[in-house]
Amino acid sequence: MAFYTLGLTFSIMIALTVAVLAIWIYGLYFNFKKWGMGSTGYQDELRNSFWLFIATWIHEAFKDGIWVFIRTLILDVFLLRRTLRRSPVRWVMHMTMFYGFLTLATLSGLGMFMDVIEHFNILGLAEGAEMVKHLSQLPFDLFGYLLLFGATIAVLRRLILKDVRDGTSAYDAVLIGGVFLITITGFYAEWLRGNAFLVGDAFANSIYAPHFSLIHTILALALFAVILPWSKYLHIIAAPLTILANRGGE
Amino acid sequence: MAEETTNTEKKPLVSGFLKSTQLMELDACTRCQECMKWCPTYDVYTDRPEITPMYKIARMRELMGSQHGLRAKLFGQKELNEDEVNQFTDDTYMCTTCGVCGSVCESGINTVELWEAIRPNLVVRGNGPWGKQSFFPLLLGKGRNPYQAKQEDRLCFVPDDAEVLEAASIAYFPGCTAAFRQQTLGVATVRILNALDIPFCMLGEDEWCCASALVRTGQRDVMRDHANHNVDAMKDRGVETVLYACAGCIRTASIDWPRWYEGYIPYKNVPLAVYLREKIDNGEVEWKHSLGKKLTFHDPCHSGRHLMHTVGRDWAFEAPRDVYAAFPGAEYVEMPRSRELQRCCGAGGGVKAGVPDLALGCAEARVRDGEDVGADMMSSTCPFCRRNIMDGRNSSGSKMAFADQVEIMAVLMGLDVTIPPNPYMEFQEWDDVLGDRICIKPEDVVPVKPDDIEGD
Repeated sequence: MAFYTLGLTFSIMIALTVAVLAIWIYGLYFNFKKWGMGSTGYQDELRNSFWLFIATWIHEAFKDGIWVFIRTLILDVFLLRRTLRRSPVRWVMHMTMFYGFLTLATLSGLGMFMDVIEHFNILGLAEGAEMVKHLSQLPFDLFGYLLLFGATIAVLRRLILKDVRDGTSAYDAVLIGGVFLITITGFYAEWLRGNAFLVGDAFANSIYAPHFSLIHTILALALFAVILPWSKYLHIIAAPLTILANRGGE
Repeated sequence: MAEETTNTEKKPLVSGFLKSTQLMELDACTRCQECMKWCPTYDVYTDRPEITPMYKIARMRELMGSQHGLRAKLFGQKELNEDEVNQFTDDTYMCTTCGVCGSVCESGINTVELWEAIRPNLVVRGNGPWGKQSFFPLLLGKGRNPYQAKQEDRLCFVPDDAEVLEAASIAYFPGCTAAFRQQTLGVATVRILNALDIPFCMLGEDEWCCASALVRTGQRDVMRDHANHNVDAMKDRGVETVLYACAGCIRTASIDWPRWYEGYIPYKNVPLAVYLREKIDNGEVEWKHSLGKKLTFHDPCHSGRHLMHTVGRDWAFEAPRDVYAAFPGAEYVEMPRSRELQRCCGAGGGVKAGVPDLALGCAEARVRDGEDVGADMMSSTCPFCRRNIMDGRNSSGSKMAFADQVEIMAVLMGLDVTIPPNPYMEFQEWDDVLGDRICIKPEDVVPVKPDDIEGD
């Protein structure tokens, strides 16, 4: 069963999730429309259109053909080739954070979906949903460690390397600190539940577990919906789109 | 400082010029700081991180956010803070548009195009351009070249005994600097083409400045006239191949002119180094002298990083190196920062005219790069790089010689690169070691020996 506390119910969580998704989708629409304010080409007039941005992006991304697009997608978006060329440490950091974050987000979505199936016993699959959630525990933990590893590098890099530290703004600090905090609270929540990978039930505490779980969920949703589309974290969306639009910058 | 604010109030920050995908690029910066490690201007102004790409992008994003962000959507646009816009203008024009930041950008942001798209918006607002850069449109609009020279003198550097046709399938586009300020380069090119029996034409009076300076500084008004005129002049002569010994010209002709010219451009633009490499490979070049120098090559941004996406790395980076490799007796040495990671000389992007101290600082750094590898001669394929690096060499007291690739080649082929008397002799930008109106001192070259020539 899902883990609720402080008066939260399943229905409230579903409503919150829908609201969060709506804010997130609106955030993307808002930014696409903002970008669509630009022109379609060199020395062109301003357009201010959501669809114009989509059309311009497609035009740029596929300018050199589908194979260049696919090559760029694999080498530069999925494997972060440009980062690897410049700094293997940053590459490890980005790869672990990218795939850790992406997988956890996907697993969270899957978990929520299973909660819905379980709650309403849709098609009589409640038991199966419970099993899927159980099976996802291990990947949840593994990718959590992956994200923790990347987030730790990000924090340490900003603390230890003088050049990087000097160029770090409050903006960077808050957001990298935010990711680190979300990751850590996620682990606390998992450890306090008492079924975590590696540590087992060593930290199990049924009283505080729901509270940490709630804190983690609120922080994650806040990052995902409230911060991501409106802050530096938009680069998670904009950077891959830029790499594709510029055909990898090669 | 940039222009005062009185005429900029209420004008929008963006008035065209920025593509929608470029607005997206402003949000794509991950603030990894890689660009700060490579920026040649930040190497000079180390106390001004705000001139680096990461900070400029952040500031532009903030300015955009104040006008078109969520807050502006909910509560209305805030009036633009003109001090901030002026500061942003200053930072934006402290850039040579060399593009190394784009080469190292993890997000693949096309920074050269981004800066060149941001600048016209600032010009329209009245914030840009910077200092003497504002003379460019006037000079080009009136005299069709930035040196206030007469158009009828365009071919004054061509020796009487040289053969230049009225029309041919191959054209040589010398550019304004070779025509009026570094005529040895023009003479050397003409001599080499003649020596190789290549029939070619030049536009003469019909050649207008490529207008690179206008594009780089965001002043696009006169640009269209120059692009259209030059392309039409080539077409009128039935040209199929245009050769350039100027990095700025070929960059502008290959990337910028097609954006303005509304029609088919039937000829191809070829860097002279590519053409000469082919002739060398075919065994058509006869060497007469040998160069007793340790030589290094400075990659021009315009024909290297800017062009590599269009013409490929071989043309952009390897062709000039292959030509140097063929020079008899030359000991070629590579600087650590080369090819797409090369350090800009500091002259581009209007910085030489607008912020000369910054340009000089960059040039001095590049001279040090050459000295660090023990080179006693630096060479390039860009007259503007040459001019600035020579200035940096002189101000830093270095003894390193500088000569264009084509000039060295002409001398090694035993060709006479003497400039015929003309009204612009006193303006020639001579390297001290080229003092006797020849490209390289007689003691620098010796008769070629068979062992000097690779492959023989």
